[in-house]
Amino acid sequence: MGSAAGFLPFHFSNKKRKLYVNWMTKTKDNMEQYSATTISVEDELQLITRAQNGERNAFSELVRIHARGVFNVVFHMSGDALAADDAAQETFIRAWQNLSSYRPQTPLRNWLYRIAFNAAMDMIRKERHVLPNDIDEMELRDERSGPESLVSQQERTTMVQKAVLSLPDASRAVLVLREYEGMSYSEIADALDIPVGTVMSRLNYARKLLKENLQPKLAVAAEADYVQTR
Amino acid sequence: MSKHVSEWLNAYYDGELHGRQLKLVEEHLAECEICRSELESLAGLSALLHEVQTPEIGSLERFTSQVNLRLPHEKRTVVSRKQVIEFGWWTIPVGLLATWAFVSTAFLLSDILSVASGLGVLGGMSEWLASGPSNNVYLSTTVGQMGVLSSNSVNFAEAAETLTRMSLPQISVQISIALLYLSWMAIWWTRHTRQGHGQFLEG
Repeated sequence: MGSAAGFLPFHFSNKKRKLYVNWMTKTKDNMEQYSATTISVEDELQLITRAQNGERNAFSELVRIHARGVFNVVFHMSGDALAADDAAQETFIRAWQNLSSYRPQTPLRNWLYRIAFNAAMDMIRKERHVLPNDIDEMELRDERSGPESLVSQQERTTMVQKAVLSLPDASRAVLVLREYEGMSYSEIADALDIPVGTVMSRLNYARKLLKENLQPKLAVAAEADYVQTR
Repeated sequence: MSKHVSEWLNAYYDGELHGRQLKLVEEHLAECEICRSELESLAGLSALLHEVQTPEIGSLERFTSQVNLRLPHEKRTVVSRKQVIEFGWWTIPVGLLATWAFVSTAFLLSDILSVASGLGVLGGMSEWLASGPSNNVYLSTTVGQMGVLSSNSVNFAEAAETLTRMSLPQISVQISIALLYLSWMAIWWTRHTRQGHGQFLEG
């Protein structure tokens, strides 16, 4: 790992280098979340340049770094592990095909997540009949009172997942990037190419809908916690 | 008590509020049970959402290999919109210079042919070539017939009109090309100044 002032790819202008390094410095604290494999800014830039020049090994390295993040996004968008695996692969194939149009003003992760979101949406449209898409199909409300009414962990997870999947696509994307990827509002805005104000309103809307759908279960969970602590 | 801060609670919970807005929300939360409860429900919702675990992607090597297998052998060359615009941008001066060269050559050839025709070098061909616009001097003749000009002045006016009639298209076309080229230079200079030399050269 070299220093930031070291061997940045020669074809990036000083302005581009500055933009990229500034962004990465700002998000340095999130570097652990940023990738499964820690990598320095300049090393990633080198990999990108080499991949842009057609080096498959460099691209494979980028795939290794971002695979978990991309998979996480597409899984929570689609709710299906198999479809997510396929969509994640599709994301990287599209990224490879369009790598020449990538510009370092946008961090690679954000760029990949934008592609991942589109790949997941395409997958959902294609396989809508296979993927769970109707929250009403689930029995969300349990009228019984007391901790004995708690649904099993598995059922609760499925219920939450279905509630997330029932959200409008645009709101779900914002929620997934915030809750499961821990991205800031400005990063989400960058990834989805929308204003920060829109991120805020979509997130408010998504959480409001989820609370309306899941409120009874939240109450039951709180009651269970209360009982356990006594 | 200040009014409820529901619309800011999400941003507060996500750590996205700063400065005065943050202070306002904190102050309100200290005295408002309803908003505190709402904030707690956000935390509860977040905890519930995190109960949905992402399944393991499996071996990264397997995933990477599968991606590698699906990668097209020939990388598709994607010509971005920006590249197209950049190409078009640099084509403008080349096109203008080519037009200027073509127009100048055409006019030069036309002049040579006119002179040759006047000298009778072309013989019989001069009549065929002279089928284009004639060098009539309607305006000068008309003005002369009205008696406004003396005979010497009429001759001078006729010569001037002939010269103008022959040169005007050539001059106007060349001025138009020069103006277009200068406009392009001005825009180039503006872009150059705004983007910085290195950035501009890279496109």
